[in-house]
Amino acid sequence: MSLLALRAISKSFGPTRALDGVHFALAAGEVHALVGANGAGKSTLARIISGHLRPDRGAILLDEKPLRLAGSRDAIRHGIAMVTQETTLAPDLSVLENIMLPRLGLPGRLRWSAWRAEAAGLTAQLDQTAMLPLDAPVRQLAIGQRQIVEILKALALESRIIIFDEPTASLSPLESERLFTIMRRLAARGRGLIFVSHRLEEIFAVTDRITVLREGRVVANARPTVDLVPGELVRLMVGRELSDVYARAGGGGAQKNQNMVLEVSHLASPPVVRDVSFVVRQGEIVGLAGLVGAGRSETVETIFGLRRATGGEVHYLGAPFRPRHPREAIRAGIGFIPEDRRGQGIVPDFSVRENLLLAHLGGHRGIGLAYGARNAAIAELMGLLDLPARRLLDANMLNFSGGMQQKVILARWLLLEPKLLLLDEPTRGVDIGTRSGIYALLRRIAAGGVAVVVVSSDFEEIIGLADRIVVLSDGVTVSELPGGQVDIEHLAILAAPRSSAAGIRALLGDLVAAAGGIAYWIGVEGERLVCFDRVGDNQAADPGFAVGGLLPVAASAIPAALTAARGELVREADGSRQSLLIALTGRRGHDLGVIGITLPGAAPAPDGPALRRRISAGLAAWAADDAEARAA
Amino acid sequence: MSAMARTLLHRLASEIELRMLLLTVVVMAGLAMVSPYFLTLNNLLNVMDQSVVVGMVALGQTMVILIGGIDLSVGSLAGMTGIILGLACKPLGLGGAIALCLGVGALAGLINGLIITFGRVAPFVVTLGMMSIARSMAYVISGANSIGDLPPGLGALSSSDVFGLPLNFAILLVIYALAWWFLARAKGGRTLYAIGSNAEAARVAGLSIRLWSVAAYGLSGVMSALAATFLASRILSIDPIGGNGLELDSIAAVVIGGASLFGGRGAIVGTLFGVFIMVFIRNGLNLLNVSPYWQGTAIGAIIIAAVLLERVLSARRS
Repeated sequence: MSLLALRAISKSFGPTRALDGVHFALAAGEVHALVGANGAGKSTLARIISGHLRPDRGAILLDEKPLRLAGSRDAIRHGIAMVTQETTLAPDLSVLENIMLPRLGLPGRLRWSAWRAEAAGLTAQLDQTAMLPLDAPVRQLAIGQRQIVEILKALALESRIIIFDEPTASLSPLESERLFTIMRRLAARGRGLIFVSHRLEEIFAVTDRITVLREGRVVANARPTVDLVPGELVRLMVGRELSDVYARAGGGGAQKNQNMVLEVSHLASPPVVRDVSFVVRQGEIVGLAGLVGAGRSETVETIFGLRRATGGEVHYLGAPFRPRHPREAIRAGIGFIPEDRRGQGIVPDFSVRENLLLAHLGGHRGIGLAYGARNAAIAELMGLLDLPARRLLDANMLNFSGGMQQKVILARWLLLEPKLLLLDEPTRGVDIGTRSGIYALLRRIAAGGVAVVVVSSDFEEIIGLADRIVVLSDGVTVSELPGGQVDIEHLAILAAPRSSAAGIRALLGDLVAAAGGIAYWIGVEGERLVCFDRVGDNQAADPGFAVGGLLPVAASAIPAALTAARGELVREADGSRQSLLIALTGRRGHDLGVIGITLPGAAPAPDGPALRRRISAGLAAWAADDAEARAA
Repeated sequence: MSAMARTLLHRLASEIELRMLLLTVVVMAGLAMVSPYFLTLNNLLNVMDQSVVVGMVALGQTMVILIGGIDLSVGSLAGMTGIILGLACKPLGLGGAIALCLGVGALAGLINGLIITFGRVAPFVVTLGMMSIARSMAYVISGANSIGDLPPGLGALSSSDVFGLPLNFAILLVIYALAWWFLARAKGGRTLYAIGSNAEAARVAGLSIRLWSVAAYGLSGVMSALAATFLASRILSIDPIGGNGLELDSIAAVVIGGASLFGGRGAIVGTLFGVFIMVFIRNGLNLLNVSPYWQGTAIGAIIIAAVLLERVLSARRS
């Protein structure tokens, strides 16, 4: 019997359908992950369960009895609480006062001594007595501690269902670990927990079952976590079918001899962008793929002058380019469509016409507006974008659908005839119909000689659209692939979040300096392997794979080492190479791939145990650094 | 309801200028009915004269409120720059004194703007501080004495006529016409609206949001000093308490004129009508022999009513 069940829940916002017939069941005593890409509807679902939103259709059953929630207070009354990264605590009140805050709204006397005893009991239940002084003002607490106060508040209300919505987004590893321990403990005491996150490692570390949403529908219903692997989960999140919306206009793609428009090498912009390199040629669409937090948006924002670069170089049209301000980028012929359309794109008090002319105004030199000079170009663009000029231009931007708004923002930049167009999640919140129109338009723009960079979390979109795909993970470029030919699984393995790609690279360098040969970091999924990074150039030690390559284990030059047990020095059957591989595991025990070193077979046999110790020590140092860096 | 009436209603709801014009006419008609003296030439000239000082300050205040800020220092700045004007007339001559007065106003406004924009301090706090500083400086510089004995040339600013209009009122109209052009047709003006409406989107589109934010406060400082000049020319005497209350009158005029205190919405013509409405009401109450103590209540009620009306209309729009 399930604690909570959702039957055929649907919810629309204006023309956008956020949830479409979603079924979901939560059992007592489990931690249930709710997973999906951006815009999949997981937060909407969480907000429906917590009473913040009301579903258009469908039923909610609590203990198999129908439940109608009038609001979040109502949900709390029924024992449903939500913990988010932005806590709803009163910062100037003490921990105790915050835990008991809901009772201040009830009639009757304040019974602080009884409440103090109760709060102390709850704190002890979670084993937090030493960590959480009840009289400290909440303002003094770290974010992780505040979340624990939020949890205690939920427990004081005798909540049976607790939703954790991206709770770890700003927590240090230690704090996350503590939170997970508490979550497991709550589940063990018979509560039902819903965990919303996009961090795969955490999902595998803490949850019992996983429900995956994609574009408002359930694509995997309550699958046991142990039956899934990260690659499979990512594939479920991002979809696999390549529909005809991406239909290529024959040939497509830039030739090698086209002019280089943008060359980015080792770009760094802390804290997120650490080492990003890629190039874009005239007429080419390059996709920046990766998961949330990989540094894709930050990379394009740095190129556009919205963030400061601290390292590396950007060459634009052959000359070094480092804009201090978006205006410089605009005048140089660069356009940028931000991810957050409402926050960074639309000026709500301006008409559509003036929104369309905003970048013109930003790039314009002179005192006046020179709007009139753009009338012909606007008329032409409205036709190109299939926008109804008469109905549109003098109206308010916010009256129109997301797709229409995005077209106007696109027109804002096309008006300036850019040489380089940067687009961050260009189809976020855009309906499917308009999407294919935008794809076709981007192709046409590229065919006209514009260099286009598209950032997208939607792997299907990026594979369908981009001529080349650059994969980022943790702020580092990990791979570059031709578009169209790559499959989603391949991309998913490459993009899977890996902590500290830069730290691993340093370790590989150390290994090669000490022992020679070639050191590498690979992921092995069944019969296939993918190479994340590789250091060293000794041809005789070549393991048979390059960075970003996906190939069968048997096709590499070291199949024996790859199939043998980890931690042993393995000599290949033909004696040409000897390799030592060590599994890389995360702090919570999940697979992060394999670190290996291959030496020529002819080289004197290295001291295996010493080499192993060296790798282990390097990994330990890396893990410590990593933890420290994240805590700070 | 006929289609024409519906169109008219729609335009009334969507266009501040039209709404303010109508409101002003209604107020005038009402006052003309209750007091036969209201529409006489003498009284109208009097009303024009009274709207000059608050009108100038309200113009600068409009720019600041459009970017979502507020300038509480305008009244004190008028006091301080007026004292500087009075003291500088003898050593510098009238022209030099006016230039110095406007320069000091600009400088104080720019200091406001720089601290607010680059120091990221709330405009309310910074201009509140400047309000206190400027008033205190007015007393320090003047030794807490009034300054009389101003050159007659200064008085000519308020006593001469041009094309049948009082010169000071004509200057006010010219400045408002320039401001209208700036806000509607110049890059800087549109930038002010964009900053108040969504500063981040303006930044991404390459607009110079810091430059124009500072400029708005600088302009407000200049307008305060200009108001001080016309205030002095009217009574040919300067008092360190001069300009007291102008901050509230100017904010009231802007708000009655339909601007949003959150920025991004408002019109310079609306502010001008807002000034007229305030002056009319004061004048009308005087004509009706209502105790001046009641004027605050009347003006306060109008401010609240105007904002409520704006709220209702914007709710209808969205």
